[in-house]
Amino acid sequence: MRTRAALSLAALALVAACTGESSSSDGVAVPGRAGAVKSSASVRAARRLYDGAPPTIPHPPLGAACTQCHNARGMHVEGLGFSPPSPHEETRGMSAFSRCNQCHVHALEGGEFVANGFAGLAQDLRRGERLYDGAPPVMPHGTLMRENCSACHDGPAAREEVRCTHPARARCVQCHVSQLETTVFSRP
Amino acid sequence: MSALDRRSLFRILGAGAGCVAFSEADRARAAALEAAPSALASGPGSSRALQWDKAPCRFCGTGCGVEVATEGGKVVAVRGDEKSPVNKGLLCVKGYHLPAILYGADRLLYPQLRQSDGSLKRISWDEALELIASKYREALEARGPESVAVYGSGQWTVFDGYAALKWVKGGLRSNHLDPNARLCMASAVTGFLSQFQSDEPMGCYEDLELADDVVLWGANMAEMHPVLFSRILESKRARPTVRIVDIATRRTPSSEYADLYVEFRPGSDLALANGILHLLVKNGKLAQSFIDRNCVYKRGIEDLEAIGYGCYGEQAERYTFADEPKDSNFEEFQRFLEDYTPQKVSEISGVSVAQIELLATLYGDSKRKTLSLWCMGVNQHTRGTWMNNLITNLHLVTGKIARPGNNPFSLTGQPSACGTVREVGTLSNRLPADMVVTNPEHRAKAEKIWRLPEGTIPSKPGHHAVDMFRAFQRGELACLWIQTTNPWVSLPNLHRYQRKPGDGKFLIVSDVYPTPTTDQADLILPSALWVEREGVFGNSERRTQQWNKLVDPPGEAREDAWQIVEVAKRMGMGHLFPWEGDWHEPMFEEYRSFTLGVGKDLGSYEQLKSTRGLLWPVVDGKETRYRYAGGHDPYVAKGRDVHFYKAKGYGERAAIWLRPYHPPAEVPDAEYPLWLCTGRVLEHWHTGSLTRRVRQLHQAMPRSYVELNRADASALGVKSGDTVRLKTRRGAMELEARVDGRGQPPRGSVFVPFFDESKLINELTLDAMDSISKEPDYKKCAVRVERVEQGA
Repeated sequence: MRTRAALSLAALALVAACTGESSSSDGVAVPGRAGAVKSSASVRAARRLYDGAPPTIPHPPLGAACTQCHNARGMHVEGLGFSPPSPHEETRGMSAFSRCNQCHVHALEGGEFVANGFAGLAQDLRRGERLYDGAPPVMPHGTLMRENCSACHDGPAAREEVRCTHPARARCVQCHVSQLETTVFSRP
Repeated sequence: MSALDRRSLFRILGAGAGCVAFSEADRARAAALEAAPSALASGPGSSRALQWDKAPCRFCGTGCGVEVATEGGKVVAVRGDEKSPVNKGLLCVKGYHLPAILYGADRLLYPQLRQSDGSLKRISWDEALELIASKYREALEARGPESVAVYGSGQWTVFDGYAALKWVKGGLRSNHLDPNARLCMASAVTGFLSQFQSDEPMGCYEDLELADDVVLWGANMAEMHPVLFSRILESKRARPTVRIVDIATRRTPSSEYADLYVEFRPGSDLALANGILHLLVKNGKLAQSFIDRNCVYKRGIEDLEAIGYGCYGEQAERYTFADEPKDSNFEEFQRFLEDYTPQKVSEISGVSVAQIELLATLYGDSKRKTLSLWCMGVNQHTRGTWMNNLITNLHLVTGKIARPGNNPFSLTGQPSACGTVREVGTLSNRLPADMVVTNPEHRAKAEKIWRLPEGTIPSKPGHHAVDMFRAFQRGELACLWIQTTNPWVSLPNLHRYQRKPGDGKFLIVSDVYPTPTTDQADLILPSALWVEREGVFGNSERRTQQWNKLVDPPGEAREDAWQIVEVAKRMGMGHLFPWEGDWHEPMFEEYRSFTLGVGKDLGSYEQLKSTRGLLWPVVDGKETRYRYAGGHDPYVAKGRDVHFYKAKGYGERAAIWLRPYHPPAEVPDAEYPLWLCTGRVLEHWHTGSLTRRVRQLHQAMPRSYVELNRADASALGVKSGDTVRLKTRRGAMELEARVDGRGQPPRGSVFVPFFDESKLINELTLDAMDSISKEPDYKKCAVRVERVEQGA
């Protein structure tokens, strides 16, 4: 009994991976599987108040440690799906990420207390800028709590648009730098 | 989870892993953006061109720095400010969801006046301000300054609080000004004042990383101060010798990370702390030379009958007890502590003798740095000032104070409880920078800075918060103006404060959303919120943080300080606010002049604008991380290690107080056999009027509940999800039961959060108060829990 419960928990955990609201018209249809969708920027956006906000948890509370499935490399189970890795796995300094629920919360039920008209920042869908064709693109986002680049840029959970072509090179920031400021250098 | 949910989840899973991709719609959007980079400044997707401005978070007293992105006159995102020394880029779930609090669909947009049929009618600002001015004028003429009051907030900016203070004490000539912070940190104020004759902690957040032992006294930091708790966890990860001790009456998410969990019976922390002091003395662990150089001994009134609880007999109408400090000495201290043997303390508290001895070893170990942290558990306590005294005693007698990593540190729950309430002095007995209305020199200094005639400020302290609402109920107050707070959810024993608008009293409420408090108001004013106006907050670690106005408020909403200034002008008190044009900087600089040269020195407005906040005292532009500490505090002479220079009345020494154990005001009995403790949850902030309007936070924590111990639940025949009825001597309500949820109360006690305005748990709580601070105790009263027939 206990084993069966654990198995179904593991299975449910995988929902978090690459699937989203099956009703989303913005999702990517899966050939031959009616109603099934893959993740997309729109599904990603639906889980965030604005681009940069921590995603809400799209599966029910499972009673297991989050990092059991959302570990450094993610977890694949044949025939079920993929639980995306945690981008915080390499995070040090301020981010003791052992308390996942400090930032990521479940939606225990639908509905609103009062409607809200907040229109959050959308994800920047463009590729990172390159100085010239062939130059390494700069990162269009910051790196705090996204130190584990491969969480989003490698493995089954990576969207094809941002998938790294050279995952064997371990030190991404050697060539790709973050662009947080919009100012241009000028001598003081 | 239902079987249906599970099936649908598996169907979704059936989509398989494979690669995930842009949808066609995404692809089209991306292509359009790539093709037209010039169009990026407007519309979504332009994160690269955004302006990010600094501001402190609007929620708790931690004071995290956020950077705020605006676009088209609206806030579109925040991110943790990596330049902020407070949070170094991290936020909690409330902080990340902060921008949506501005955009709830029911924002108050216009002044509204209650009509005789109870409906609200939109009126102009001019009408509203004239009406307030005339009501206050009439009350002053008919019944004098005793009949007018303002109830403020630890969410007030420094401007709001300073304007209110100057108008009420210097204009209305009344001391009936008190804030909601009376309900949350007044005991810490009276604690620090009684020991150092100056409010606020000596340490700073850096202590979190420098301490070897972090002791939480009744503080669930994992939920209430998550970012500071992350700093503790990170310190422990980097240095595994760090220990976390959780001393509590209930297992919380913080307990999961504790090396030692100490569970005591409600209210018995007084005995526990005295038990630790007893062992420190007995085991020769006192830092005797430190004490001889830096401390004095004091004791006050200890008679239970004389002190009472502020809620029984005559005290239930008016509670004005005042302590009478007397000199004491080490011999008396030693004799006093003889009572608190480990065996006796164990009997009172339920803590094992071994754990008491362990705590004494920990505080007595001079090689390890100790940080004590506390918040509502200690402050909302019928002997909260005493408990503050006892925790600080542990640090004074061991010399573990005013040194990096060694400090007693009180946490705060509101963003400017320190900055606005404690420093500006928006309390019924206080003036800026540690001054009090009862001291003629202090009044004279305020009158001089304010250019007011001698004798303007009254010398008698006004109503403290609970007393203010009791006086309002009695009909003694003709006018009451409430800003930035929601007392009809947050006051204890709420049944006492029922009224009908139009009953002859005039109640004004300034807020941003409709609440149970605006429901009571005769006049509702729409306020600007957070970055809709310029502001200054002061956080728990003495950090003063400034921000600029970034977006316009909706409708006709205006900042609270403006509302007060405009009413003052209409009452012929314009001389209080003489500045032309933008008065923010000159008002701050006038306030700042109170703080200079007295050890409370704030940084200049100009400097605050360009920094991520500064820890006062700021002398020669330099902040002070450790007060009273040689090598850190510019007020301490070179060569001295510690100097409690503010305690002039104690010979510039800190006071060790002899404070006994007293039982709580109400204890469980046969009729009401359980303890009721109320408090907070991670997702909602205080009365929930802001956070419940954010979908993500609401859906994560949609409504209140009651946490039961498994043994109590099974004795009642109740399981998680069932409805139970809670009854106290004050009221009753039905709630959903939770067993083994995120918090686990011990057998014989239950816990209920107070954020839910449809489940007003404060109708059941007792309005017992701390004798000195007059802060109510929301943590201890007796309750009966009954099973409700399910499906009925």
